[in-house]
Amino acid sequence: MDNTAKELRICHMYPDLLNLYGDRGNVLSLIRRSGLRGISVKLVPVSIGDDFDEKDFDIVFLGGGQDAEQNVIRKDFVEVKGPKVKDAIEHGMVFLCICGGYQMLGHYYQEHDGTRIECLGAIDIYTVGEDVRYIQDTVYEADFLRAEGVSDSAVLYGFENHSGRTYLGPSVKPMAKVIEGAGNNGKDGYEGAIYKNVYGTYSHGSFLPKNPRMTDHLLSIALKRRYGEDYELPPLGTEGEDFARAALLRYKEKGNTAP
Amino acid sequence: MRGLRFHIAVFSAKCTRLALRVLGRGATTLPGKVAVKVDPKILKKLCEGRNCVTITGTNGKTTTTHMITDIFRNCGYTVVTNVSGANLLSGVTTSMIFGLKDMKKADKEGRKVICVLETDEAAYGKIACQIMPKVSVVTNLFRDQLDRFGELAHTRDLIAKGLDTCEADILLNSDDSLVSELYKGREGRTSFYGLSEESMHYNNITYPSRSGMLPASSDAEYCTECKVKYTYTARSFGHLGAFACEKCGKVRQKPRFYVEYDLAKNPSDEGYELTLCDGKEPSDVRSKRVKLPIPGMHNFYNSICAVSACIRMGEKIGDTENLSFDRCASALEHVEAAFGRMEKIKIGDKKICVLLVKNPVGLDRALSFVAGASDADGIYMLLNSNIADGKDVSWIWDVDFESKSFPEKVYVSGDRYGDMMLRIMYSGVDRDRIIAKPMEECAELLDQAISDSATGKCLYILPNYTSMLALRSILVKRYHLKDFWK
Repeated sequence: MDNTAKELRICHMYPDLLNLYGDRGNVLSLIRRSGLRGISVKLVPVSIGDDFDEKDFDIVFLGGGQDAEQNVIRKDFVEVKGPKVKDAIEHGMVFLCICGGYQMLGHYYQEHDGTRIECLGAIDIYTVGEDVRYIQDTVYEADFLRAEGVSDSAVLYGFENHSGRTYLGPSVKPMAKVIEGAGNNGKDGYEGAIYKNVYGTYSHGSFLPKNPRMTDHLLSIALKRRYGEDYELPPLGTEGEDFARAALLRYKEKGNTAP
Repeated sequence: MRGLRFHIAVFSAKCTRLALRVLGRGATTLPGKVAVKVDPKILKKLCEGRNCVTITGTNGKTTTTHMITDIFRNCGYTVVTNVSGANLLSGVTTSMIFGLKDMKKADKEGRKVICVLETDEAAYGKIACQIMPKVSVVTNLFRDQLDRFGELAHTRDLIAKGLDTCEADILLNSDDSLVSELYKGREGRTSFYGLSEESMHYNNITYPSRSGMLPASSDAEYCTECKVKYTYTARSFGHLGAFACEKCGKVRQKPRFYVEYDLAKNPSDEGYELTLCDGKEPSDVRSKRVKLPIPGMHNFYNSICAVSACIRMGEKIGDTENLSFDRCASALEHVEAAFGRMEKIKIGDKKICVLLVKNPVGLDRALSFVAGASDADGIYMLLNSNIADGKDVSWIWDVDFESKSFPEKVYVSGDRYGDMMLRIMYSGVDRDRIIAKPMEECAELLDQAISDSATGKCLYILPNYTSMLALRSILVKRYHLKDFWK
């Protein structure tokens, strides 16, 4: 086992603009589960006008924002940083993109009135806006997380809040199967997308805190990329997270308590 | 003329209230709903010829309404106001109907009447034209239940619509960039209140604010017109501060009414003093040092807002004598906290203090307040996700828990007790220090938390909306507190 000090460099894209629905919690998760393992964390905000260089980072986080804010960043993201982001993705950089950030990696976003907003086109997806908004708790099953001896290891808990319907092209895989909720488009039974090391999902808010095995998966591929395939993430318990997952399951069975 | 329809509507409302009271329920909105069904113009008729002030915005409405009410009463007015939360058409109508008796009595005895109406920020656009307020206050715009209302810019546009359907004098928070731009096109009737720039923290918050830490999410970092990042020369909290857009030149307007304060002293302490100022005549600024009636830095805003609303009303209706700067500022000191808004309740030789938290900035302020409270021994947080709370609880992750220190004992309940437990744990509080129980056990957990409290210390309870309603009935039943839905 390699005991030399390890470091994780997180690029938080547009934290001052894409900061809706608790996206911050995902970054806190990456920081926490690295820190508890003795991995030092460097967190770098990269916003409008800042340079993005893939050499500086191990993992990139891109969240969702209000429409007004997404319009503010679109030009910077698609035109200025776009080519470098695309390169980084092709080279295998680890990305976690939520909701608006997920949509923006695709080819386009078509608004209710048919207007198409060109997006980055880094991954083979597109999104169509519709009137009905999906706002609910979600449960997914992600096969790549399945671990021997852990009964709910593949289960992901989330909360979705989106009116866009995302459709996947042939060169991306869905991230997970929908057990509860709408997922990408409410039709095909899948949620999110995976392309190389890019993970896109509608599951916002406390997605990573509630899914520590997903956090560890991202950390593991990011650090293996940096320190070699032999690198093994040190073991770390999930007791607190499991308590929260059990509480969530209980809530889902019982529903809200009327005041 | 009010007409027959009006009288039938009022009668129906009274019958509805009677029936609800027989059933032992509060009747804060249903009677109004029934009355509006009978006479859709009833609110307009009720408000006609009355001097109304409306209070809208995402945070501080209830406390500000409460302060304005107390100030007017202390200055000799008869006040009709709505119960906290009953701030949609139905709730406002209910309050006005049941205020009729007091208004008539005051008219007969020659006392002046003011109606102080808290209005929901999404409903204001529709009901302002019925209320026709003399003074309209917009406190602030922070993200709040986005799944219900949509985005902040949309909420602001709804408020703008309301402002344009009435002729009210407008009072805006100068430090909120989203709110203050409502003055455009309404310059002649707008005045501002805020904090003195010199008193604010001078901190262009850097990222990350502390090593390995994230700053809290902010709601309005960029100019809504130019999409250029605001620069701040000073900040109070959230996105409030002395902002400027370098591209279009939009800057914070200098407020006529402002607060000077000293942050070397702790605003969580009782008896904290601040200076209220009225700079109507820049060469002759009037000022008065007063005790902050309800602790917490956010109450600096609520206090100056309330005092300036009363002064503006005095100017509007020509009663600058009873509603002078001095009288309004002095009256502020006698305001008492309402339930769920920092009211301290004695339970045996211990105390509890309930702070309702409904959105990120409210929670940020409450945590900051508790962290500074010298009598804090425990904190009890409750998180529900009913429709009235907003089904999406992910906003708890937008709040900067990381920079707040927690009291030694931490209790968690509500339907979403798992989410809240995890949030607190992820801020660095040891799992062992957090006792988390489902909502069905919240009463027993309250008993435990109170009994764990040391003598003379205070348990701070931070519920969201429906968990506060539950908590209230528990306190009534188990601790014999009187209910207050009168």
